[in-house]
Amino acid sequence: MKLLFATAGLSAALMGSASWAQAVCSEDLRILAQPRDGLTLLEDYVDEFEELSGAGFEIDYLNENDRRAKSQADASTVGSYDVYYVDEANLPLFASSGWIVPLPGYYPDEYDYDDFDAGMRQVATYDGKQWFAPIQGGGDLLVYRTDILEAAGIEPPKTWDEYKAAVEALNDPAAGIYGTGLRGQRGSGANVWRWLPLYALHGGKWFESEDTPINIEAATAATQEYLELFQYSAPGTQTGSFDESTGAFRAGKIALLVESAPLGGMSVDAAQSQVVDKVAFLAPPAPLAGSGYAHGFAIAAAANPTDEEKACAGLFVAWSTSKEQEARRLEAGQPGELTRTSTYQSPAYVEAFGQNLADAMAATGNHTQVLFWQDPRWQELGNNWGIKLEELITGTRTDVDGAVKELDEFARSL
Amino acid sequence: MSMVPSRNWTNSQDRCDLKGSRRDRGETPLAPVISYLNLGQNVMNRGRSLPVVFLGPALVVLIVLALIPTIYAINISLQNRTLSAPDSDYVWFANYIALFSDARFLNALWVSLKWEVISVSLTMITGIGLGIAMFEAASPRWRNILCFLFIIPVLLPRVCAAFVWKFAVHPLYGSVTWPVRALTGQTPDVLASPNSALFTVAFVDVWQWGLFFAVIVLKLLESLPPQPIEAARIDRIKGWRVHRYITLPMLKLPLISLTLVKAIESLRSFDLVYVMTRGGPGISTETLDMYAYSQGFIEAGRISYASSMAVIMLVISILMFSTIWKRIGT
Repeated sequence: MKLLFATAGLSAALMGSASWAQAVCSEDLRILAQPRDGLTLLEDYVDEFEELSGAGFEIDYLNENDRRAKSQADASTVGSYDVYYVDEANLPLFASSGWIVPLPGYYPDEYDYDDFDAGMRQVATYDGKQWFAPIQGGGDLLVYRTDILEAAGIEPPKTWDEYKAAVEALNDPAAGIYGTGLRGQRGSGANVWRWLPLYALHGGKWFESEDTPINIEAATAATQEYLELFQYSAPGTQTGSFDESTGAFRAGKIALLVESAPLGGMSVDAAQSQVVDKVAFLAPPAPLAGSGYAHGFAIAAAANPTDEEKACAGLFVAWSTSKEQEARRLEAGQPGELTRTSTYQSPAYVEAFGQNLADAMAATGNHTQVLFWQDPRWQELGNNWGIKLEELITGTRTDVDGAVKELDEFARSL
Repeated sequence: MSMVPSRNWTNSQDRCDLKGSRRDRGETPLAPVISYLNLGQNVMNRGRSLPVVFLGPALVVLIVLALIPTIYAINISLQNRTLSAPDSDYVWFANYIALFSDARFLNALWVSLKWEVISVSLTMITGIGLGIAMFEAASPRWRNILCFLFIIPVLLPRVCAAFVWKFAVHPLYGSVTWPVRALTGQTPDVLASPNSALFTVAFVDVWQWGLFFAVIVLKLLESLPPQPIEAARIDRIKGWRVHRYITLPMLKLPLISLTLVKAIESLRSFDLVYVMTRGGPGISTETLDMYAYSQGFIEAGRISYASSMAVIMLVISILMFSTIWKRIGT
């Protein structure tokens, strides 16, 4: 990666000196993003960016689906935004369509891109290049209730089999405690997201060849296992997603679950959690991989036709995701929007969230992989499978084999 | 307008002057009549142009806001445009043909039909039932209090109402499901079953519009002349029969109008469905507009395909409402 950046940096130098060294923005930047506490905080420091670059910025917010739709429509037509908020699901589409430009060459070295979490950097990579600087993301964490496990005499699970046994043993609806929390709501970023680690666990891969778009045996085994686990999932999660499953955990209704890493900080935040003193963290049980995801800022191609404009947008991307901004987010108590390894290892992080979470966050990077199909057609494929999976979870249909076969046929039709 | 010719004829001095001057010019005695008729023609022409003057600006706004996007949608629906590719070709009716072999589209049509029937009929039953109940049982003071309370739900934005009820029916924390949890220990998840999910969303729709319609029905009943009702009561007709045979037939036209308004409103329930179920479980509450939005923006970026659905929805709506309107008119 360093080699890639060095090469790109040299290219930029040959094109006319390091463009960011003299990056002076001539006009205010327009940013399209989705609401994040960290970005609201960032807007308080617009003067700082103006002093640095010579121009300010303005952020338009839309929720996730609308932001995706609006940014696609804008990038494919008028190109009115200088910086797009991109995520793991639409990165392949934006990169392959030429709507955004790679960061190397426009992301200043002094902002230390390699400090970002390894999993997030992996997600931000497409076709061997880095395309966005993470604002939020990570892999998965095993989050569990210490009091419930201790009372049952169960050790925190280190393996997937131990995890499944613990979920079954600790499920006690009569006492208002459910074994785990999964995602049932349809969507590539909802139920399919939690199903992906199981698909990978059973050896599943996407489009190994033209003839094998999916691994049918792995998809069937993963689906059956997911449905079995759903017997112990808290009520409301059958049609819910991250909010519903983590909400049930933070309300004290769930014994343990594997979820996206932001749950770690949320569950030790007294304002969001009723189980602050009864929770601990581990990396996902082996050999389960963490489902890597990341959202971040990317430089728009259409609105920045010249190198100077790209450098200006690159400076904003770097400044807005810098260590300084991260320190401000940490100080403001925004645990879900921390992205740098230096932050996880900092005394301030340990003081705010405890050594246990800091260790788990550091350890989970090694388990994180890109488990979805990195292709512009992933959203279509993932969302199609999400519908069938939701039907299986809610009992609207029962034929796992038939659903997987339909997935295979749909994948072939893409 | 009629003042101009009448002044000429009522003023005898003017009439004499006119006669004298016309004779001098060798005009026929019928000249004033012809002149009057010409004047009347001008006035009539001006009368015909007035509607154009008044309607013109509104028609221009309507054309800009409705006709141009509609033509654009029809044009897009004949292409193979996607959000990810700037280029597109005309595929003419290929999208429309593909739709009728798309099981999800046919399902969305069926769900939309069910949604229309359920939401409109339940809203009208609730509105008429509660309106009559208030008319019969509530004092003027209570009517005012109830009307105020019944109007509040419809003032809430759809999205807010959807979120409020989504939390209220949550199996673990919902206030509506609490009695069931407390009495049986069960945690009913009404949004996880196809039928109960559709009826739960319909309930929220009725909560907003049925209560509002109850207020309108009450005000309509209050506006009726009291004599027929008093006559019916003198004839010892009591209870629901007064309304069955007297008041509701008198309110037939306003009630039909309300039904049509609700039918049109129900076609635009995308936000309610999206927040509460996102079309699930599976595709069991996926209406036509929800599926079009999914295809156009959430899943595939196939805006031509989505536009063809929108055009079909437009055609069905126009045909359906025109037919109903015509039948009512005759």
